[in-house]
Amino acid sequence: MQEPQSTTIPRRDPDRVMRLARLGSFHQSRLSFMRILTRRMAHEGWRFTRPVFEINSDGVGHAVYSAQGPFRTYSLVAFAHDLPPEQRSDRVIAEAWDATFALFDGVPTAADILRLSKNVPQQEAGRVSESELSLSRANRSVRLWAHVVDALAAGRQPDTDQIGKVGYLMRTTAVYGSGKFGAADREVIADRPEMQVPFQAEMLSVYLTRTFVRDLVQHMARAQGGDATATLDPAIARQLGIGNSTGLGMAPYIVNHPVLFNNWIIAREEAIARVRSVAAATAAEVASFRDLLQRSGRSVAAWRSEHPIQMEKLARLRTDLDTLNTFVAGDDLINDHPWDRLFRWAESRLGEDGQEFIASLMLEPYPDLVDGLANCMADSNVNAFRINGAMPVERVRDLIEACFGWALSVDWTAPENSARAWYVSEEKLEPRLGERFKEPIAEYEQPLAPARDAALLHGALADWPAKTPVAEFLLKHPEHRHALRRVQIAAIAPYGEIRDNTISAKLLPIDMLRCKLSFFGATHFDPRSDRWVRICMYAGAPYPEELSESNADRWIYPEPVANG
Amino acid sequence: MSHSLNEVEATAKRAARGAGFCWGLAEEAGKAARWLCANGQDGCGVLARLLDDLDGEPLSALSPMSLDGEWTSPSGRLCPLMAGVTLSDCASRLDEGDIIMSGVMHPALILPFSASAAQQRKGDVTVSWDGLSAVTNSSGMRLVEAASAFTAVAAARVRVRSGGTVDPLTPHATRATPDAEHWATLNRFAHRTYAPASEASRLLGAGAGLSDND
Repeated sequence: MQEPQSTTIPRRDPDRVMRLARLGSFHQSRLSFMRILTRRMAHEGWRFTRPVFEINSDGVGHAVYSAQGPFRTYSLVAFAHDLPPEQRSDRVIAEAWDATFALFDGVPTAADILRLSKNVPQQEAGRVSESELSLSRANRSVRLWAHVVDALAAGRQPDTDQIGKVGYLMRTTAVYGSGKFGAADREVIADRPEMQVPFQAEMLSVYLTRTFVRDLVQHMARAQGGDATATLDPAIARQLGIGNSTGLGMAPYIVNHPVLFNNWIIAREEAIARVRSVAAATAAEVASFRDLLQRSGRSVAAWRSEHPIQMEKLARLRTDLDTLNTFVAGDDLINDHPWDRLFRWAESRLGEDGQEFIASLMLEPYPDLVDGLANCMADSNVNAFRINGAMPVERVRDLIEACFGWALSVDWTAPENSARAWYVSEEKLEPRLGERFKEPIAEYEQPLAPARDAALLHGALADWPAKTPVAEFLLKHPEHRHALRRVQIAAIAPYGEIRDNTISAKLLPIDMLRCKLSFFGATHFDPRSDRWVRICMYAGAPYPEELSESNADRWIYPEPVANG
Repeated sequence: MSHSLNEVEATAKRAARGAGFCWGLAEEAGKAARWLCANGQDGCGVLARLLDDLDGEPLSALSPMSLDGEWTSPSGRLCPLMAGVTLSDCASRLDEGDIIMSGVMHPALILPFSASAAQQRKGDVTVSWDGLSAVTNSSGMRLVEAASAFTAVAAARVRVRSGGTVDPLTPHATRATPDAEHWATLNRFAHRTYAPASEASRLLGAGAGLSDND
């Protein structure tokens, strides 16, 4: 990564950052993909329209939402369904949903919509084309949906406490992009400025989905309440995010894309290093930080979970926020590298959740130092895959020891260290995690234990002469090719590997999910199990007709609730 | 029906794994099939035929025994994936002269790897076998003669040499249109990598745990 900014404080060591407990404590930041998208759309003055809304009183039909940027238009094609409750499942193995969507590249014709109507509602069982950039679906929050429809139909506004408890009317249960089920490959759009940052198509799809859901709930209320129906208060609507319900699929993703993952982490680490290197802050920067600290406190206060692990983490985070507020009240944060002082204090006093909270929050006053790093977050290194066969064996050993040194002392034959195996079920190809020694799954294991595999490679290299080109080793031992590739990638992507055991009996996959989701910009992580999490996206964000440069960025931090 | 190149890569990778290749080679098979499709060739067909041909045979019998002299395998048949990755891994050997491989199965699968070698050498690499010659580099490929030999099931000798010119380049493609039969073959092999459905796996393996009707 280029370093145009002078940083006197180095980036944090990957050995410290890339531990699961820390990755599982990440928070959204200025570099989150949702915020990057809303900033861009506001800055470029994107125009939004709803050319089609043909939905009947039973809530069945379709709608089109178009977003027009300076170069191109993208359209969400939404299909609304009448789903029997017994079919409502957030799992990949579901076969029907409350609503299904495709993000169309352009403005769809009637023929496009007809084609999509025969495929999008079937999701994985249908086919989309190179004209589509994403395929997704959503299920209602049954209780909140009914409450909002009933309240509006009765001429009342919905209860904000009930809205706060859930946070969204629908949650997406999968958002597929990049070539899945026939959609356009990432490579087709990667050179477009508005799509260069990762996951912008998916984030746009979800942004427009939130608008559709708001419109649909109003439509359904009117179908029930007729002329007496209330119009949803825009301030209440803004509180509503769009949920997401995520299983294990995201965990393999960050392991399978080490360069991409590295680029996300290193962008944030570089941002942290730059801000820690600020010698003195201005009063305005400090005021901005203090304001957002208060506002994010409201977000943390509203964060709910019934999962024991998350409840414990939340309790610690709330205590840490109190400690933090006390510290911040007693320090002007202006002189003597204030953010570095704050961060080092946090490292000595707060838990990992609190430390990562501060790490993200202190980036806020510094858009000029941080936001340009968004352009470094994509993976354009198509050559990283290629093995350098000329590399001598001794160099490979050194690289393993540098990146996976911790793994060399792990006893990988001990059951607790290899307890799990990642596999794909034949049931709709759902990614799953099983117990290696209790279930017949080992022969289906996916290559998602890089540390174990690197340790095995290290052992296999032990008897090879130091100067031998590794190509000769690979000719005799192709079974180590996968691990060797990762080791060479780690040399150019130091934050690309999770430096922890991904098949341990103690593994919590939700740590991997949270890390990825934090880069999307998700908040209010609510695990449903150790391998399933619900989150909220876009809560507080302006809707398309409200979007402006003044509200495009900091919507993630709740404003004080106005009285009356 | 057209497929995205990501679908090709993912399916080819799983298929190669299902056919018994280790993950590292399966990844190369995915990239190779994708590269051929991106260069307008039937990458799915050639991989499907290879997997059908060598199903169950140990890879060691199909790998080069030595890199000195002509590359030959113990069985007399060379797997193009194993020979191909070795070519890419040893790209600098082309400085010392041509590389000759004997008994190469489905030699079209050598081309993605010669392109990789060419890219490392920042030049062009020409691959030829009976009735066909192709030039590859970092931009793509050009079939110089007799494209019908592209689908040869075997080549007695494949010569790889430094040099050639890819101009005019074969047009690139962003989609693949494999024969249904070949696509089904790849999926049949890929299916071997999926764990059978079971109630325990369904309940424990993905673990949403709770009702979604809340």
